[in-house]
Amino acid sequence: MINSYGSSKGVSRKGGTFARRNLIIALPLIPLIAYLAFFFFWPMVMVVTDSLKNNDHHWSFINFTTITHKPYSTAFKNSILLGALSALFASIPGAIFAYIIEVRGSEKLKGFVTSLSGVLANTGGVPLAFMFIATFGAQGSAIKILKALGIDLYSGGFTLFSFTGIVFVYLYFQIPLMVIIFSPALHSIRNEWRDAAKNLGATPRKFWRTIGVPLLFPSFTASFLLLFASGFAAYATARAMTVGNIALVPLVIGTLVDGNVQVDQANVGKSLAVGMVIVSALAMIPYLIIQRRARRWQQ
Amino acid sequence: MKKSLSIALPSTLAIAALFIFLPFGSSAEFSFRSYSPEGKLMHSFAPYQWILQQPEFMSHLLLSFKLSLIAVAFTAILVVPSVAWLHLKAQSFRSIIEVVTILPLVIPVVALSIGVQAAFPDWLQSTEYELPLMYVILSLPFTFRILDNGLQAIPLKTISEASRGLGANWPKTIIFVIAPVMRSAVAGAFFLTFALSLGEFTLTSLLHWDTFPTWVTSVSQQNIIGAIALSVFSLTVAFVVLLLVGLFSSQTKKRTEVAE
Amino acid sequence: MKSGTLELIGISRRFGQTIALDNLNLTIGAGELVALLGPSGCGKTTALRIVAGLESSDAGVVKLKDRDVTNLSAHLRNMGMVFQSYSLFPNLSAVENVEFGLKMRKVEKGNRRKQALELLELVGLTTQSKRFPHQLSGGQQQRVALARALAIQPEVLLLDEPLSALDAQVRTNLREEIRRLQLSLGTTTLFVTHDQEEAMAISDRVGVMSNGHLEQIDTPDVLYNNPASTFVANFVGTMNHIPAEQQGDLVSIFGKSIRVKNPNGISGSVSVLVRPESIEVSRAAGSGNAKVITRSFLGASSQIICQTPEGAVIQALMPSNGSGDLHPGEDVALSVMLSEVLVAHV
Repeated sequence: MINSYGSSKGVSRKGGTFARRNLIIALPLIPLIAYLAFFFFWPMVMVVTDSLKNNDHHWSFINFTTITHKPYSTAFKNSILLGALSALFASIPGAIFAYIIEVRGSEKLKGFVTSLSGVLANTGGVPLAFMFIATFGAQGSAIKILKALGIDLYSGGFTLFSFTGIVFVYLYFQIPLMVIIFSPALHSIRNEWRDAAKNLGATPRKFWRTIGVPLLFPSFTASFLLLFASGFAAYATARAMTVGNIALVPLVIGTLVDGNVQVDQANVGKSLAVGMVIVSALAMIPYLIIQRRARRWQQ
Repeated sequence: MKKSLSIALPSTLAIAALFIFLPFGSSAEFSFRSYSPEGKLMHSFAPYQWILQQPEFMSHLLLSFKLSLIAVAFTAILVVPSVAWLHLKAQSFRSIIEVVTILPLVIPVVALSIGVQAAFPDWLQSTEYELPLMYVILSLPFTFRILDNGLQAIPLKTISEASRGLGANWPKTIIFVIAPVMRSAVAGAFFLTFALSLGEFTLTSLLHWDTFPTWVTSVSQQNIIGAIALSVFSLTVAFVVLLLVGLFSSQTKKRTEVAE
Repeated sequence: MKSGTLELIGISRRFGQTIALDNLNLTIGAGELVALLGPSGCGKTTALRIVAGLESSDAGVVKLKDRDVTNLSAHLRNMGMVFQSYSLFPNLSAVENVEFGLKMRKVEKGNRRKQALELLELVGLTTQSKRFPHQLSGGQQQRVALARALAIQPEVLLLDEPLSALDAQVRTNLREEIRRLQLSLGTTTLFVTHDQEEAMAISDRVGVMSNGHLEQIDTPDVLYNNPASTFVANFVGTMNHIPAEQQGDLVSIFGKSIRVKNPNGISGSVSVLVRPESIEVSRAAGSGNAKVITRSFLGASSQIICQTPEGAVIQALMPSNGSGDLHPGEDVALSVMLSEVLVAHV
């Protein structure tokens, strides 16, 4: 009895000091956590609660019923497709580019590529849209040059202000984004594994099939999904480019917020925002599943 | 295999250069366009002269610079010490902070903007200084990772213990030991915050503020050539700052290499 | 037995301005274990990688069982290699790692699992066969790597500093295990290391390399007792450098004339190279030629460090039971118990 009492007391005291130590260690992190709570989590909570209220401020699912119908459902379909296509067409060339730089490039070049990709992925937005208008718009330089060479893209049905056009423009920031987030994973593929595989009789192709691809697959999926989230949610480029002929969720929210619509739709904007968060969160599920499978061989 | 790869690098770089410079070069060409009274296409500095004549140009540019610098300052006092602390003492909290800081990248900015409108009190929403406070959040996924990666290469705990073991107190350790080794990562984080804040459009426009990027968009409605000239201008500024940061951090790298 | 003779004939390799290998010639007999020993950057790893086909040579021929394999692709060479560390595939379990080479050779599944488990048993890891590399200790990882290299029944086993990342105790155990396995399988083995103790302990012959060429290749005993050059003498074991005067082919040291093995016909100041165990220390109160500085007890033997009046520090190694009374400050008489010495010209 006495023994068990003594030992349980020992354990609880040890637990207590551990918790107190953790608390002291966490203290300097409180400003950052509080900042995130106020400027990030609180607004997100407000969006969710408001979206669940009707115009009389009563709890209701009415907004979510509204957004499953046209024109909102079309906007979701377009945005999901835009995210998926731009992620698909950016992730593969981005990964190949990152691979060639990783294997062949000098340290200096790698650093340069990372910084340049950072600029292209983050300062895109508005300037990007106008640069593409200047290049591939009806009066754009590239289009004019091609026309002079006898290739008239616009009479062939091409237009920058179409769904295909937007996918095309998005690649300009999605590919650099892929390079930034995928390069660290490539860096973790050790030369020893390549050499060992070769030594054991594997051709480069077999090495990639049995070792390289399985090792990179989780990172590739994670990158792909992040690209999807980025393309799905992008607003600036689409806003600067479109003339309102393509319904995309961020643009619809933008119009609702700009206030030139009926007041009774204020909370529809919030439920559209929650809908975007849900789509982004759903996109992370396959990532979690793959991560779980990969965890058995990861530290 | 080896041979095919050795052509691969130059050709990849050529494609990448084309990818970057085709739109950039075309825009540069476009930005010098003007039309003679008879409607004939010419090239001149007229669009740029037009920009300089706009009083909004300078005022918006200065406002954007000011807001971006405030965002950088907040990153400096809030994010940099927190990440350093994670590496020094609070390793056990690193993974959870890592997950939390990726969220602003996953949560659409449009959704966040709506939330800000619903949540923030009026006094905060009536000042443009709410913008830099939010820019810090938007750049956090990147700044956290830049600082975290940079510190991973440095045994911060060991060197700060060594410094304290040699008799330096905490303030001295921070100024003379921790700050210098973090310089390159901190420069990268500052640059990213600055660049992102300078170009931020979504949140700014949805909160109904007018900064440089939103002004460029409104210009495009009456003067597309002017808007393109402004775009060329802002990306050129970004590249120049990038080069300067690159020079700065490669110099620090050299110095740390010699020290090793 | 599959193993055969491995020959390197006139192998040269440069990287830009640096010459990594300069006309290297080396023959390893069937079933022999030869170590290449040298400081980092001497070209030993380059030589090993050229044998494996992971690096190309500028000139020269690699022959295996009289067959020219110089231009044979690495994955067709059938040589097992163990790397310094981190070479196990992280997404495969221990047994899957060992199976990898057999899978590439299209060995049927049940059969290759059986062979892989046998090899894991050979290296004492039967119970860890399902673990992933990150769940194994450094020593266990290298055992799996060894089993993986042996699984393909290689004609040559190549070891690239496989022990350098391990703790001292694990290192000694594993090197003996490598030797035991190598002897029982009779695999021709090339072992690259910068640790002379390791090389001397398990090799049939040791080749000492410097600046891309072989200084000397001999059995450990010959290398230690009869080094061909001052570089080898310095690199292998501990060596005293005792200042002395050389006249013709004789050198005078501690009042005694000894024949010089490498006279060169020069007279003047030289350093005489003498191993600690070839120096005799005896008490000589008042009449000695050196003073004791420290004595360290090492078990069966003791290390005595002395200093001559001219300032030269000399290390001696002698049985502990005869050296108990050699206290610091004691006057001692030193003498060299050799009839022939190597000198280094200064």
